[in-house]
Amino acid sequence: MKQQELEKTKEYKYGFTTDIESIRAPKGLNEGVIKFISNIKKEPKWMLDWRLKAFNRLKNMKEPNWQKPKYPKINYQDLYYYSAPKSTKDKPKSLDEVDPKLLETYKKLGISLKEQEKLAGVAVDAVFDSVSVATTFKDKLTEKGIIFCPISEAIQKHPDLVKKYLGSVIPITDHYFATLNSAVFTDGSFVYVPEGIRCPMELSTYFRINASETGQFERTLIIADKGSYVSYLEGCTAPMRDENQLHAANVELVALDDAEIKYSTVQNWYPGDKNGKGGIYNFVTKRGACRGNNSKISWTQVETGSAITWKYPSCILQGDNSVGEFYSIAITNNYQKADTGTKMIHLGKNTKSKIISKGISAGNADNTYRGLVDINKKAINARNYTQCDSLLMGNKCGAHTVPYIKNKNHSSIIEHEATTSKINEDQLYYCNQRGLNQEEAIGLIVNGFCKEVLQQLPMEFAVEAQKLVGISLEGSVG
Amino acid sequence: MLNFEINSKEIDKIEKISREEKDFRIKNLEFFKTIGFPNKRFEDWKFSDFKNIVDNNFNELAVNKVSNDISNIDLLNDFNHNYILLVNGSLHSSNFQYEDKDKIKISSYNNNIDYKVTKNPLVCLNHALSENGYFIEIKEDYKFKKVLVIYNYFTEDIKNKILNNKNKIKLNKNSELHVIEYTVNKSKFKFINNSYEDIVLDDNSKLKNIYLQNNKSDGFFHKFLRNKLSSNSDYSNLIFSSGLKFNKLDIECDLVGEKAKCNILSGLFLNKDEHQEIKTRINHLFPNCKSFQKVKNVLSSQSKGIFQGKIYVNDIAQKTDAYQLSKALLLGDHAEFNSKPELEIYADDVKCSHGSTSGSIDENSLHYLMTRGLNKENSTRLLIKGFLNDIVEFIKSKSIKRFVERKLEEQVNGY
Amino acid sequence: MLEIKNLQASVNAKPILKGLNLSIKPGEVHAIMGPNGSGKSTLANVLSGKSGYEISGELNFKGENLKKIPVEERAQKGIFLAFQYPLEIPGVNTNNFLKTSLNSVRKANGEKELDTMSFLRLVKEKSSELGIDEKILSRQLNVGFSGGEKKKNEILQMKILDPKFSILDETDSGLDIDALKIIAKGVNSSRNKEKSFLVITHYQRLLDYIKPDFVHVLSDGKIIKTGCSELAQELEKTGYKKLN
Repeated sequence: MKQQELEKTKEYKYGFTTDIESIRAPKGLNEGVIKFISNIKKEPKWMLDWRLKAFNRLKNMKEPNWQKPKYPKINYQDLYYYSAPKSTKDKPKSLDEVDPKLLETYKKLGISLKEQEKLAGVAVDAVFDSVSVATTFKDKLTEKGIIFCPISEAIQKHPDLVKKYLGSVIPITDHYFATLNSAVFTDGSFVYVPEGIRCPMELSTYFRINASETGQFERTLIIADKGSYVSYLEGCTAPMRDENQLHAANVELVALDDAEIKYSTVQNWYPGDKNGKGGIYNFVTKRGACRGNNSKISWTQVETGSAITWKYPSCILQGDNSVGEFYSIAITNNYQKADTGTKMIHLGKNTKSKIISKGISAGNADNTYRGLVDINKKAINARNYTQCDSLLMGNKCGAHTVPYIKNKNHSSIIEHEATTSKINEDQLYYCNQRGLNQEEAIGLIVNGFCKEVLQQLPMEFAVEAQKLVGISLEGSVG
Repeated sequence: MLNFEINSKEIDKIEKISREEKDFRIKNLEFFKTIGFPNKRFEDWKFSDFKNIVDNNFNELAVNKVSNDISNIDLLNDFNHNYILLVNGSLHSSNFQYEDKDKIKISSYNNNIDYKVTKNPLVCLNHALSENGYFIEIKEDYKFKKVLVIYNYFTEDIKNKILNNKNKIKLNKNSELHVIEYTVNKSKFKFINNSYEDIVLDDNSKLKNIYLQNNKSDGFFHKFLRNKLSSNSDYSNLIFSSGLKFNKLDIECDLVGEKAKCNILSGLFLNKDEHQEIKTRINHLFPNCKSFQKVKNVLSSQSKGIFQGKIYVNDIAQKTDAYQLSKALLLGDHAEFNSKPELEIYADDVKCSHGSTSGSIDENSLHYLMTRGLNKENSTRLLIKGFLNDIVEFIKSKSIKRFVERKLEEQVNGY
Repeated sequence: MLEIKNLQASVNAKPILKGLNLSIKPGEVHAIMGPNGSGKSTLANVLSGKSGYEISGELNFKGENLKKIPVEERAQKGIFLAFQYPLEIPGVNTNNFLKTSLNSVRKANGEKELDTMSFLRLVKEKSSELGIDEKILSRQLNVGFSGGEKKKNEILQMKILDPKFSILDETDSGLDIDALKIIAKGVNSSRNKEKSFLVITHYQRLLDYIKPDFVHVLSDGKIIKTGCSELAQELEKTGYKKLN
């Protein structure tokens, strides 16, 4: 490897490509491509109709432009909307049949499936480019009646559930990227936890964009039936490429009475190089509906990758006494831009929401927290607490806080706090004095700054996330 | 539905203006005519749909000139003061009996050209049509001995009008001025006052402004304030404008010299369907500046309070100290508080924070007061006054403080 | 003065007081002791009329049923509660608050309202009696007061409002011995044939200074033992557990 490339890999340790033959749909966005996707997935007609409805709607929609990070115009006709590793055409029945090269890829990612299976902690569904390649621990889950499978499989095997809930939280007409996803989504995970069941293990999906000039449009749907509980983890990586790649996923969560969903993300898509070339556009729509009374949805995200991140995992608190939580760490370095936050829509009585957001900005990066707390007239005794803290490193970067707060109910209480500061020199000095170098010291302090959020992550992720926090800021202090 | 048309000939009626100024006015009028009154699709008007408000309250609106003749007005006798009298937005007279008159320049203000292009339709409308406001300039090193009251007087006959006026205050180096902007509205009708104020503070100068009304009225006010604060200057604006049916203050402050200070404070008690918005943008453009904002709203019945505050810190503005707090007490079942406290920061060595809370009266405090024999109504009033008190505490002069307290009390006791 | 029969109180359907009986005659000082969570503060809150409790049983004050009477009218009738945790109320001047409060009590009892001068004289008299620095009265109500100052302020309010029946809810907790003496002095100097007191406390210490006529032990929402002041000393030695 050339010296330069070596350097590059150091910056982004997930920046490898896997040499696997893939099947692609023809370039471009048209009815033909949508039919191609639907056909290759052996979808029933209602699904194709649904996609085409979204596509027709899309023709009259415009890309939003209110978010702070601006990006060059995307030529939607110049993208591949379907790309699958060829060898999965005959899907492996067990991990042993999985293409060894793929397995190796996961090993590089640090998520060796075999190892995971042995550790018996996490059930993994890995989405490679657009296709779900392997789901582990199926038996154990099936025993409990839990469905955890690629959404393409769910469309065929559990059409009633999919029909009932798909698009019920994010309508197909919601906004440009959500509608685009509805038209062309390729795969993703589907989870259904039946009434009264506590999912015995963390469910996990790894997403990876491998092929070039490919957009990734996965779709995830999680339904927690009455009194159930599920914790879901999502990790993402992509190889280094000079061009920008689009990732426009939709994630829908539905929690019925007394159910709880915990959704954690560690997003480490390729952020582009030091000069801002390349990287993923991460335009994701994530929304959860606390549809039942006493239900709870908790989002935790660690966003360290992508050239542009633009996402607002939200909670619609419909059920009485329902609870929404959002814990976020967004780290931007070099020329990365993040515009992220949440929406908490309080509709039911005694609904509660909590928002903890930590933004860290270094280099020439721009980091925005944008959030909405909306307490409707009928949301008696609603409560919200929001805390947004930003940390700036150097004066070429930016940190912004844009909260929208609407209170239409006099019995509700909203509290919002935000601070912006730089790394405390005294703390740095203290760490240096104890023998830590500058980068170690910063890693330590930043991890401390993010602690409240890191604590929310399941163990398996917390360690990786902590490392990522350190890695993302490497070279940020001269 | 209101059908509001402005004939471009209105501009021809404005006397003694240069060709250049006329072009500027026409350009602004054209802009206003293409956009009209701003609706909630404008980010800056997200929480105050002005178009809708105007449509709901006016069947007709006219921009034509009104007379500023009046025989006499009752001056305040709570404290000695100088005054400027504006009648229906036009400069009527002034009196600086307590001051050294050589140090003060006062004139009618008609300069409508040195303004940058804006996308705020109401500001454009003002640029197009405003005339005859006041311009006051304080010479170097002169400090006012007594407060200056600006009587903003509206006559009984004002009805279905939109009055546009523009004023300017310039403080030269080391000067100091305290102003009470006091609206006296005799009109029982609905009308719109759309004003623009230009405030320039030179090095080491100090301006303190208190803004309030004599009584409740059906006025719909919009005011855009543009402040330029030089090195070491000190600007404070205390807003107690509970008297209006609609009020939007849009305050933009450029801190253009080191160690400039900017304080914006507000204590409002809104009732019925009153609707008030305070929008600020503080631009920290130089190092070591300080800004402090504290906005408190008490919202009863169906009133609506809004705070949109933005702190912007430029990359060279190190050691900025910016603070912003908005608090609302919701009393009415239909009261509403919206806020958007925004930070946009590009310098790292800064202390910036904001907070926003809203909620109802604390039940435990209410209980505590009631165990001391106060009934619920009086306990609530006491808590309201307590809530607003720390804004009033910013007023140093005892007589003025008493005056403001009395005005606030009248409103709270009317609750 | 006060007749409580079979008083039951619950919060969100969780019972706290479970059939409490208590009778206090004019001039008497009663002490209520009991472990944490026995319902001591709930009793104080219920007597003051705090909302949020579902109540049944009899609650008579001077022959009048209290149940329907709101908080402030109870206060006007002469029931005073010295809070365990006096609230901080920002922006409200202490003197101003005291005056408004005194005058609303006086007005309710058909007495003439006090003007500022005579009010200030009264405050001066009472605060010097208690050894309280008047300066704290020009500050905002309890804001930034130390724990001791807050409790002293409660007793000062009691002296000024001159109630017929005072409830002291753990007024002694967190106080040093000097402050404790001030509190005790405040109570003792008010004791007479007409006035009654209910002293709620965790420790016997306060009762060394305020000699009660009766001591009751409250446990699990009921009075399980009643005795004279020696009972308090006994409890100090043996603890509450022995009683159960």
